[in-house]
Amino acid sequence: MATVVSASDQSRFIVPIGPQHPALKEPGHFEFTVDGEIITGASARLGYVHRGIEKGAESMNWTQCLYLLERICGICSHIHSIAYCQGLEKLADIEISPKARAMRTLVAELERIHSHMLWWGVAAHEGGFDTLFMYTWRDREIVMDLLETISGNRVNYSVNVIGGVRLDLSPEQVTKIVSGMKKLEERTKHYLEIVTNDSSFLARTRGIGVMTREEAQRLGAVGPTARASNVCRDVRVDAPYAGYHEYPVKIVTDTAGDLKARFVVRIKELFESYRIITNVAQNMPEGELKARRVPRKIPAGNVISRVEAPRGELFYYIESGGGEGPERIKVRTPTLPNWGSVLTMAAGLRLADVPMLLVGIDPCFSCNDRLIRLNPDGKQQTLTWQQLRDRGIEYYR
Amino acid sequence: MKNDLPAMFAILIFPGGLSLLLGGLMFEWIDRKFVARLQNRKGPKWYQPLADVIKSFSKEEIVPAGVNAGLFIGLPIVGVTTALVTGLYVPLFGFAPSHSFAGDLIVVLYFLSVLTLTLGVAGANTMDHFSLIGATRTLTQLFSYEAPFMLALLGPAIVAQSWQINEINVYAQNHTWFLFSQPIGFIIALIGLMGKLELPPFDAPEAETEIVSGALTEYSGRGLGLFHLGQDVEFIIGITLITTFYLGGLANPLEFILKSLGLLLVLTALQTLAARLRIDQTVGLWWRIGALLALIQLIISIAIRKLI
Amino acid sequence: MTQPATANYLALAEEYLQPYIDQLTRPELFRLDVWVTSARFRDAVQTLFDHQWGYLCAITGVDRPFIAVDPETPAQEDQIEVLYHFAEGEGVVTIHVLLPYSRLSIPSLCDLIPSASMYERELMEMLGVDCVGTPSREKLVLPDEWPDGVYPLRKSFKGLNPVNMEEVS
Repeated sequence: MATVVSASDQSRFIVPIGPQHPALKEPGHFEFTVDGEIITGASARLGYVHRGIEKGAESMNWTQCLYLLERICGICSHIHSIAYCQGLEKLADIEISPKARAMRTLVAELERIHSHMLWWGVAAHEGGFDTLFMYTWRDREIVMDLLETISGNRVNYSVNVIGGVRLDLSPEQVTKIVSGMKKLEERTKHYLEIVTNDSSFLARTRGIGVMTREEAQRLGAVGPTARASNVCRDVRVDAPYAGYHEYPVKIVTDTAGDLKARFVVRIKELFESYRIITNVAQNMPEGELKARRVPRKIPAGNVISRVEAPRGELFYYIESGGGEGPERIKVRTPTLPNWGSVLTMAAGLRLADVPMLLVGIDPCFSCNDRLIRLNPDGKQQTLTWQQLRDRGIEYYR
Repeated sequence: MKNDLPAMFAILIFPGGLSLLLGGLMFEWIDRKFVARLQNRKGPKWYQPLADVIKSFSKEEIVPAGVNAGLFIGLPIVGVTTALVTGLYVPLFGFAPSHSFAGDLIVVLYFLSVLTLTLGVAGANTMDHFSLIGATRTLTQLFSYEAPFMLALLGPAIVAQSWQINEINVYAQNHTWFLFSQPIGFIIALIGLMGKLELPPFDAPEAETEIVSGALTEYSGRGLGLFHLGQDVEFIIGITLITTFYLGGLANPLEFILKSLGLLLVLTALQTLAARLRIDQTVGLWWRIGALLALIQLIISIAIRKLI
Repeated sequence: MTQPATANYLALAEEYLQPYIDQLTRPELFRLDVWVTSARFRDAVQTLFDHQWGYLCAITGVDRPFIAVDPETPAQEDQIEVLYHFAEGEGVVTIHVLLPYSRLSIPSLCDLIPSASMYERELMEMLGVDCVGTPSREKLVLPDEWPDGVYPLRKSFKGLNPVNMEEVS
């Protein structure tokens, strides 16, 4: 049955996944060549939701860029603005207060919790375990509510400004955070038990998509994906930024390198996050929220800013020509290097493992797609909804 | 309870035909609602399955390029018809079957498989890759659960010394529940039914995160609606069958409501417990464990009968 | 496991790269920027790879069109600078390669570092740098119908003109 060939391709049976597919909540396109249920090859095509952020940033000023870059990703918006602000502060030689650094760390860790919990839910759903999906997302609301209490937003918190942060914690918020962390810790222990003990779940995760330490290094994997293959690589530990000097993180690794290890590493990382958040919230240093004077023009030069996003190392290269806006901003998001690992690991697996494998690296398409903005005649082109509709109808006529 | 209604009424309106369809939709709703509650969701309103079917029927049916149009349109009709026919031989809603003859158990089991077969053929009929893989999986799953499921239903039949559903029903009413005398058979029949209905965790043939909707990916409008109706009918028939065999038979409508709903809730709870099995895991489970256990159960039943 | 300090890491990298370096700066404590020619670039990377120094963090392409500061300076050719960032612990080594518009080609790293493929595809379509020997030359992020020879991350790109727009849509 599986050797049936399609009309267009006589030699290979290709299963396309994406750009529209129930397994992907965001558009990407993957082609898996299969022999029966076994995968023999894989390739990727991205770019369905390009926004041209790198190009767009070059036409904006430094402050506008902050808000643009924060919108690269809805899930890890805060970490993008940390990377950007840190880079600029280094270029402009601005010292930020310990309080601002602590605040940045706190929100970054809260964001990590919400990102990881979102990921379990999606991964469980891909594995057909909807009950776990519903439960994790319910508990994720705890951290979403905390973020909303602190910043007023569930995503895109806009906590950072160049030279510091915008918000402070009130004593009530501290109490809320601490009790929230307690509740989450309890729930997370339960989930760790499910992930490591539930036999039906283990049948789908143990020994699937194994990546050895050597492969992980060769393929340049980052973040929890690498750490699950026993690669000790975490920017928070290797090159501590923001408040990670004062509140150090213990690195979590696993030796197995399979899907289960990726689950376990992420869940154990959360316990670290809970500990840090409680610690930061209870021992918030006193001080100014932001630096008093931030120059409009940033001195010429370039800077590399690396931070640990929930998905792995986030890399910023910022170049200033001495003007009011950047000369070049390069963003290398953690999903990009991790794709390579997925496409290589796919061969030899079964089709049923693909969704979980794809999700195993916690892919984020907004991470990838952010390069082009159509800007004909140098003028901003704005299309109304009606115009877009007409255009679509005309195109598909 | 004896059914004294005219034959035509029994076939078209009650307990077969229309009532069977509505009963199937009701069972689907209870299933969906209860799963939702277990998963901490609200779940649909009671008329949602009916609304789904009406919506499907009112939509345009798109016949994709490259398919045999006759097969494409005919298969759902064949599927839903065979499912409806089985309603004549089982004690639906606690009424005695309107038709009954020696050996109708085999006919019912065969007809229940026909729906799955049409599903597989429908998937293989289209050029779509998801459908083809879905069809392969549907048929693979059919061949894996069918034998153990059949053996599990044969256990009570052998003890009751009849291949006629009605007689087994009467036998079950007057003896200890087979649930207690043949517990292994009950479990296998129950899980076999889940495989037959492609309920989680045996939903690999229609795993949406892998192959969109499996064999039905290309179906829309009436065809899709008919297949859904067929599956709902199979749902209620399957539950009625297992209740009749293992839960002490169905003597009247009240018994039907209590027993079948009880079984439905157990079935629903089972769906929320596990991650989806890969198709190779499903096959392995059935042939390595399911078939073996069913055989052991059967041999024990025969041995005990010989001894007594 | 004790890790050598960042300074040691960078000193090691400097030692490995010594034969290939044209110019060297240390803009920050944990950074080492080196400039190499495109001819010697492959060997430089090979050295880092052989010594298992760090991993490829990213490839950045920067368009550097010639801008006359004052009329006396002789006109120079426009250039594209390709930056290869390697990281180990806190240290980052950046290998700069300057490519004039007339010879926009650079050897691919994919046989050494397979993950470079994504970055190279991006570099090729965004800036028009030819990565010689890269396994996949397909478009990564731009639409399939994107016109040839239009590279959006170049400074000269101000948007597609209406004619091109028609081609795209």
